[in-house]
Formats: sequence, structure tokens, C-alpha cells
Amino acid sequence: MINGTVVDLSRVQFAATALYHFLFVPLTLGLSFLLAAIETVYVTTGKPIYKRMAMFWSRLFMINFALGVATGLTMEFQFGTNWSFYSSFVGDIFGAPLAIEGLMAFFMESTFVGLMVFGWDRLRKGQHLAVTWLVALGSNLSALWILVANGFMQDPRGAKFDPVTMRMHLTSFQQLIFSPDAQSKFVHTSIAGYVTGAMFVAGISAFYMLRNRHMDIAKRSFRIAVLFGVLATVGVVTLGDALGFVDAKAQPTKLAAMEGLWNSRPAPMAFNLIAFPEQAEQKDVGAVRVPMVLSLLVTHSLSGTVPGIDTLEQQAVQKIQNGIPAVEALKVLAHDPQDAAALAQFNAHRADLGYGFLVQRYAPHLSEVTPAQIERAAKDTIPPVAAVFWSFRFMVGLGLLMMAFFVLATLYSLRNRIQKKRWFLKVAVWMIPVPFLANEAGWLVAELGRQPWTVYGVLPTWMSASTHSVGYMVFSLIGFVTLYSIFIAIEMYLMIRAIRLGPSEPGGDGAAGTWPPPTLAPRPVPAVPYGGNVEG
Amino acid sequence: MRSFLYFVLFLVIALLVTVLTAILGDEGAWYFAWLVGTTMIVLVSAAGGAMLDANEEQAAQSPPPAEPRRSGAGGAE
Repeated sequence: MINGTVVDLSRVQFAATALYHFLFVPLTLGLSFLLAAIETVYVTTGKPIYKRMAMFWSRLFMINFALGVATGLTMEFQFGTNWSFYSSFVGDIFGAPLAIEGLMAFFMESTFVGLMVFGWDRLRKGQHLAVTWLVALGSNLSALWILVANGFMQDPRGAKFDPVTMRMHLTSFQQLIFSPDAQSKFVHTSIAGYVTGAMFVAGISAFYMLRNRHMDIAKRSFRIAVLFGVLATVGVVTLGDALGFVDAKAQPTKLAAMEGLWNSRPAPMAFNLIAFPEQAEQKDVGAVRVPMVLSLLVTHSLSGTVPGIDTLEQQAVQKIQNGIPAVEALKVLAHDPQDAAALAQFNAHRADLGYGFLVQRYAPHLSEVTPAQIERAAKDTIPPVAAVFWSFRFMVGLGLLMMAFFVLATLYSLRNRIQKKRWFLKVAVWMIPVPFLANEAGWLVAELGRQPWTVYGVLPTWMSASTHSVGYMVFSLIGFVTLYSIFIAIEMYLMIRAIRLGPSEPGGDGAAGTWPPPTLAPRPVPAVPYGGNVEG
Repeated sequence: MRSFLYFVLFLVIALLVTVLTAILGDEGAWYFAWLVGTTMIVLVSAAGGAMLDANEEQAAQSPPPAEPRRSGAGGAE
């Protein structure tokens, strides 16, 4: 049996690398489409200032993109190094979208990124615009395939366990791709990236406006970013609702943890606005409830209900009892795949095979399993409620804050009063980290809420890891955290340096090859500080 | 001839949209919504940015509004 500490360290290592990587990804997703928007204006209006804008923001995009790639590559290797049983068990399904991501989306975005950066003087305007759109499309398609793979972990569809090969096999690629979880999660994540990109551009533009630098570019960038952001926040909230609706059916334990729902209640169910869940005693302390809202949110009906944790634990006990004969049959089939009786027993109980695996953690010999062990395994099916509950509220709260910000920013921009609202510009600068925090919280909700499974209801986390030593895991974890912290520091340094340098001056070719200039001294304030088109 | 080609193009787009909606309808059409939504977000923000830019330029080029004519002391009318 795999050492529990090794499993926990493997989880911490994957969480650390994923959370670091997820600082870079959303910005790439959003900034790429913002670049497409800015360059579209350049091509349609022919104003050179929009070219300068696109070139400046593409520099920041490139810094982020390069470090995002560096942190992303190691994550995929971790499936093989730290999660080898998982990779063997579901590799036939999980590997396909990852391979497509590498071969199609990542190669596409990487190739066109080169053309985007170095092609300003080599491609015609329309060709370069097409390249920028393809970079954005490639980046987001990359996220699509990763989230199709993740969607399988959250709601396994289109696959079947084969008792002869002892692995899961793909039965329907269409079901895998069109899984409701994958669909809603991809769009939610992608649009969360748009919000991140919009806040990043708006915040940096506000920074320039506060210092009266690069006003021509800052003001135009701010306008486009806030329009982009206000539409994206509406999208991200809509898709967040869709994801909750999907999870209510596909992952009831995650939903119960998100809502701190310890007991099943009749419709219409109240929503826990604030509560302090206590896992050991299975109750919420200091709950502030809004009547009827939970039923509306998760079932889109006042008469709809979702099961509480008490009901889900009872269901888990039944599933564990049903899954035990499947695991017992599997042991027989491992020695004799032709054993008809074992095969019949397996097929009768295969739906709950994963729950049989779950209790094996406490009862390696399932023939001697006790009710107390089954009860304990059933309690394990509930994720850490307080962490999921508060991560969810943190994410939603920040999302609503960003929506309010973008609505106000759009109003000020439409009235052409943004540069006079210095307090708001200061707020905009402080808002830059907000979407990043919301993204991290969203990742925690999705992945902590999936526990104790790597593949929901099919493969428990405790048996998915590799059999490394604790020393190896501690050593590699320290290595990863150190390396990734250095990456973050490099990114921050390069970003701040590029932001301090600012966009190229009018008349300069601004080619990527000339950047960075030899000095860090601030550029002079443009001759036409407000509104006017410097290039005429 | 050009009008006919436009007609065919739009007809093909309309058919494609209908087919995609029908295929994806049972499964939830979020991928399709992403395609339409992303295109809309990018184009609306681009068009909005260009429009605000044009409005500002127009306002800068147009002469300032004339001072309202004063009509005698105290504004007897």
C-alpha cells in the first residue's frame, strides 16, 4: 500500500505547481484576445497608435507566455512521475486530450507567437492580424483540451473499465469532449482569463494615467480593456452558474461542500451566505442564510432540491457495500480473466468499483471489512468542507467586485471622465491582483471539491500516486517551490521593467528586436497628453 | 454575381449555426456559446474603443459652443 504521507506530498506538489502555473495561464488566455481586439482596431482604422499599443501589450504577453510554458511543461510530466497508477489506470482516456493539446493547440500557438512578435515588418497588416487571432485561438484551444482532460476527472464519461486489461478504455470520444462539465468549465475558465487580461491592461493603463505618462496609449487601452472586461465578467458569472448547475448533478459532494449543506432540506432551500463549517461535528456555526436562493441557484427552480452531506454519506455506505464484490471479483479475474462467475459478479457490481477501492484503504482484505471501516470510508467521500466553502465565497465575492469595477469603469470611460477620477485610477491599480486571486480560489474549489477522488467516483486519490519515498517527495517539492518562486520573481521583474519602460515612442519602429532599450530611465511625457492622436 | 455569392455565404453560415446548435443542443451548447461570445466580446470592445476614439477626435475638432447671448440686465424676459 502507498504511504499516506507520500500521497499527501504528491498532492501538495501537484497543487503547488498547478497554482503557480495558473497564475500565468489566465493572463495568456485573456491578453491574447485583447491583443486581437487592439490590433483589429489598428487594421480597421489604420491609426498607428493602435500598432504601438498592440506592440507594447504583446511584449508583456510574451514575458507571461514564456514563463507559463516553463511552468506548464513540468505539470504534465508529474502525471508520469508522481501519479503513475493514475496514468496507467486512465491514461487511455486522459492521454488523448493532452496529446491533442500538445500537437494541435500548443504547436499552433507557439508557431504563431513567433510570427506575431517578429512579423510586424515582414507581414502585411491583415496577415499579422490573422496571426494574432490565431495565437489567441491557439492559447484558448490549449486550455480547451486540458479542461476536457480535467472534465473527465470531475465527471468521467465516455470510458469503461476493462477487467481484463485492468485499465479504463475510451468508449466515446464525443462524450469525452462534450461532457457538460468540460464544456462549462472550459468557457468559465477561458472567460475568467479574459477578465484577468482586462484587469491587467486596465490596471497598468491606470498606473500610466496617474503618472501622466503615455496618456495616448493608456487612455485608449483602458477603454478597450474595460469594455472587454465588463462583457467578460457577465460571461464568467453566467458560466459559473452553469458550472454549479452541472456539478449539482455530476458532483453532489462538491456542491454540498461548496454550500456547507450538512443536512438535506425540503425545497425551497436556503443559501448559506456566511457560515463556519465544522467537519468533525458536521454542522455550520454562525450561519447567515438567504431563504430560497440555493434551490434557485443550483436547480433553477424553487421546487428543486440537492442532497445534503448526511444523505450523501448514507448513499456512499450503500455504494461501498456494492463495490466490495466488484473488487473481490477483480482479484479473481487478475489470475484468471476467463472466470465466468467472477466476470458476472464484476459486471453486477461494476458501477461502484471505485467505492470498493475507497474502503480498501482501511481494509486491505475486503473479506474482513468491518462496518466501522465502511463508515470511515463513507465519511472520506466528503471533501474538506470549510476550505471548499470559503474558497467558493472568496472567488464569487471577488468576481462580483470585479463586475462592479468594470461597470463603473465603463461608465466613466463612456463619459470620457476617467482621467479625472484619480481615486478610481488608484483603485484600478490595486485591482490588478484580484482576478489572479479569484482564479486560484476557483482552482481550489474545483480540485479540493473533487476529493477523495482523482477520477470522481472511479479512482480514489490514495491509490493513484507513485510509490516514492517521503525523502524524494520532500526534496522534489522543495525544488519545485524554489524554482517556481524564482520564475514568479523573474516574471515580476521583467513585467515591472517593461512597464516602467513603457510603450515605444512615436516614430520608433518598436520592433521586438530593439527591446529592451539600454536605459531604464522613464520616458518623457508625450507632447499631446490627453486624447489626441500623437501620430496625427 | 457578388450579391449571389454573399447570399450563399450567409446561407452557409446560417446552416452551419443551425446544425451546430442542433448537434450541441442536447449536450449543452457552451462551446458554441464560447465561439459566439468571444467573437462578440473582442469585436464589441474593439468597436467601442474605436467609437470613443472617434467621438473624442470629433469633439476636439469641432469649434467650442458659442457663449449664450446675454439679454439685458437682470434677464427681464
